[in-house]
Amino acid sequence: MKIIKLFIDENIKIWKKLSTKIMIVAIILSLFAVLALVKFMEKTEENTLISNIEVEYEKEDLEREIQYFESQLENEKLDEESRLNFERNLEVNKLYLEYNIRPYSNSWENELTTYIVEQKMNGQDVEELLDILKNKDFNKYIEYQKKQLKQQLDNATISEQEYSDNLTILDLKEKYEIGKSYNQESYWKMTVIEKIKSAQYSLRTGINKETSKLLKVEEKQDLEDSIKLNIYRLEHNIPDSNTGSNSNYRLRFELLAPMFSIAVISIVIIVIAGGTISNEISTGTIKFWALTPNKRWKIMTAKLLSILFYIIILVLITSLVSVLIANVFFAQEGETYLYCKNGEVKEIGNTLYTIEFYFVKAIPITLFALFAVMLSTITRNTAVAVSFSVALYIGNGIAMQILNQFITKDWVRFIPFNNLNLTTKIFPNATDMTSMMFGTNFATSTTLGFSLAVIGICAFLMLVTMYDSFNKRDII
Amino acid sequence: MSKIVLELKNVSKTFGRRKVLDNISLNVKEGEIYGFLGPNGSGKTTTIKIILHLIDSDSGIIKVNGFDTKKQFEQAMEYIGGIVENPDMYRYMSGIDNLKLHARLRNIDKKRIDEVLKLVELNGRECDKVGKYSLGMKQRLGLALTLLHRPKVLILDEPTNGLDPAGIKKLRDILKQVAHKEGVAVFVSSHILAEMQQMCDKVAVLDNGKIVKVEEITNQSEEIIEQVELRVKDIDKTVKILKEKFKLDPIVEKEIINIFIQTEKLPKVVKELAVSDVEIKAVIPKNHTLEEIFFDATEGGKNENN
Repeated sequence: MKIIKLFIDENIKIWKKLSTKIMIVAIILSLFAVLALVKFMEKTEENTLISNIEVEYEKEDLEREIQYFESQLENEKLDEESRLNFERNLEVNKLYLEYNIRPYSNSWENELTTYIVEQKMNGQDVEELLDILKNKDFNKYIEYQKKQLKQQLDNATISEQEYSDNLTILDLKEKYEIGKSYNQESYWKMTVIEKIKSAQYSLRTGINKETSKLLKVEEKQDLEDSIKLNIYRLEHNIPDSNTGSNSNYRLRFELLAPMFSIAVISIVIIVIAGGTISNEISTGTIKFWALTPNKRWKIMTAKLLSILFYIIILVLITSLVSVLIANVFFAQEGETYLYCKNGEVKEIGNTLYTIEFYFVKAIPITLFALFAVMLSTITRNTAVAVSFSVALYIGNGIAMQILNQFITKDWVRFIPFNNLNLTTKIFPNATDMTSMMFGTNFATSTTLGFSLAVIGICAFLMLVTMYDSFNKRDII
Repeated sequence: MSKIVLELKNVSKTFGRRKVLDNISLNVKEGEIYGFLGPNGSGKTTTIKIILHLIDSDSGIIKVNGFDTKKQFEQAMEYIGGIVENPDMYRYMSGIDNLKLHARLRNIDKKRIDEVLKLVELNGRECDKVGKYSLGMKQRLGLALTLLHRPKVLILDEPTNGLDPAGIKKLRDILKQVAHKEGVAVFVSSHILAEMQQMCDKVAVLDNGKIVKVEEITNQSEEIIEQVELRVKDIDKTVKILKEKFKLDPIVEKEIINIFIQTEKLPKVVKELAVSDVEIKAVIPKNHTLEEIFFDATEGGKNENN
């Protein structure tokens, strides 16, 4: 009970300060700064985006290419491989010209044309395929592929599993018309299909396609989940931002805003935490509390709780303002977060996800705040406490980057700073800016439980130190 | 016999090698203003900090209203209030907000806050920021803060430091009211004798960490005895008049006559001397600080380093 009253008092003390309110304004301004930055990027990149440049292929271009291939083929000295290559390209281009197909556009027609030429060169009958190409019938093409697949199964050239996997892919392609028409908006669907294929392959063969290593048990679960997730994406038309176009400026804002504002919040909190004990001692107001019937550990606990509460309030306000800005200033829909639990795909809405993401990103702040309070209690000098803590906060990322480059020993994962990036562990399916920029390093490969344990031990040690120092030393 | 509410028994404290407090024992009763005198560095503030448990004593027992401040800290603190060194409050908050912080911790209602504000004569200014208060007001607000929970023991460390005469008088009146009407034991430290004389019921003198003297002050403040220095031409005649007519005991040092006299009697003496044709050069009232008297007592300030 007494602690609650002390806690309320501490909060009143914090909120009555003018600087507290100024700091909230500063944090919100940092969000607007990010908004301005993203809007600026949008403006400058508007004209240079590849998707906006239409590559027009004229018939003359194709004819010129055909001429080039023919002239090359007249060369007597060509080796067998090049000759085959030229012949193939020549045939493909001829078909493009004949059926009026846009070349090099990654569409299903391109795929089919190449396939036809190959079959033709192998001496197969291609009448049926040419018919499909002529009518531009996407469904027929899928049907044909299915037929081929069945044939392969009957001939026992593929396994039962491979058959069903490929059939799933074809079904998906048919259902969601993936590859039927090529445009920037639906490009993500193709990559999703590729991802599913890759996961299927890994599961089928028991070898991770990306790392070429044997699959572990938990990896298996992850792969199965990722297949379900990607199918869910196609079903509900939820683009995967990791693979989609980079023209989603809302997403950019949603990634940059937490990075910036959490940094500002951290500094604000460190400044406040660094003065908790030392400021009160230097102004003498510590006596204000010490002369009340409250044991010192209660006073300390109330102070720590009030800082924690302040962090929560700041992060909550920031995340809500961030959601608001994103909704007001960007036309795009907010990204939702998908995850798999017990084999079921679940969805977190954009607002809730943004708030959760902010809070997870804010967890390390508590650690730096504790560090600042500890220094404040031990040194009783606000300047020392704040400057050391800020230096550690700003420097730890770079220091760890450098350190991890040189030391690849297993123990570096025990360094607390290597365990601070929790967002990638709690939201493994999220688009993460840091891993996009720096790549995942060795240290981030630790599990969530391990990271939390390291952070917990650190926090515990700091708490013991500060309580001991505050309880035993004289208040003067 | 009123109850003893503050009890120190054989309290000692060493800082490093220096023994700051040496076996301090004292008792303070209800409704008593207890002066704690001593030169700077004699250990007054240390004693007060130990009583308030801001620092730990090496040995000895301190009891507030019967509760040991070490073992029953929270109960003991219910009955004690104090200002150490400066009345420190949150400068960016108003006076009443500072009071409310304390009131919440101690379950005190709004009525008592108003009551205390009235007592220290701060009503009307309670909504101003503490940073804008004068030193006297801060001192009184600090007093209000410590009086909120109706403590049985009030501990003040040099409360008159830096106050102007009007401020000192106001403070004195408040302390007297609190002690004599509400029965609070007031424990005041100071190094100024006159100040102590005017308000204390009992005085303990501390030197070098030891209590060297405890004295009850019987003459209530109305009859203040002052030391006055007379400079006259005819010393012998003056001494004679002083001895015979006023039954005083003048001390003669070269050209100067020192007398100890009740303030109200001084005009009569001067009048009598003038009537008797004594040429008076100067009448200088001496406000001796404790230090001077103290150093006299300890043979001319051999403890100057302290």
